[in-house]
Amino acid sequence: MSVALVLVSHSARLAEGTRDLAEQVAQGAVPIRAVGGAEDGSLGTNAFAILEAIESLDTAGGVLLLVDLGSAVLSAETALEQLAPEKRERVRLADAPFVEGAVAAAVEASVGSELEAVLATAEAARGQGKLG
Amino acid sequence: MSSEGEASAEITVENDHGLHLRPAADFVRTAARYRSRIQVANLTRGDSRQANARSLLEVTALGIDRGHSIRLSATGEDAEDAVKALTELIRSNFGA
Repeated sequence: MSVALVLVSHSARLAEGTRDLAEQVAQGAVPIRAVGGAEDGSLGTNAFAILEAIESLDTAGGVLLLVDLGSAVLSAETALEQLAPEKRERVRLADAPFVEGAVAAAVEASVGSELEAVLATAEAARGQGKLG
Repeated sequence: MSSEGEASAEITVENDHGLHLRPAADFVRTAARYRSRIQVANLTRGDSRQANARSLLEVTALGIDRGHSIRLSATGEDAEDAVKALTELIRSNFGA
């Protein structure tokens, strides 16, 4: 079972667009959820929606969360605190750039890599320049 | 039995968009089937950068466009098979 991804953005459209990119590179092999916007639909993040997205996934293969900006971390952590301990231990929060981390993680997950390897690939995106 | 085989190939990328996102992902997935360390260089751009064939971001940052020549170099027990598989993927224009 592949590692699943949850993409958390302040903007629903940014989350969905990044999910589209990640789905294209994963070729359907990776479950990917997009979560964006505050509860009232404005820009922001919503811990409850993040929790719902994680709960909607089978966590047996592991779940990697990516966030767009540091201010999404608090909502992500609030969501993680609500998870049952046996689920919580199969979820990681990546310290990675949102778009690059999501597509790199999607490819890594699509080849069947374990959660820690997918996390490492996402976080390696921090050091990867666009201009080489 | 050689545990440290080496293989390399030079090939021109002919598909419409070069090694952009989706073809690059196919390339990385193919490379992931092998244990060898595989590196890619863009010969047309003429710089000395080597990308790890297992890294989507490194491969896409090489800026491999249609008509560019690349060099694949692999080291490891299945180096020859890895280079062959990647060469075939490129020759087939990524199955297009």
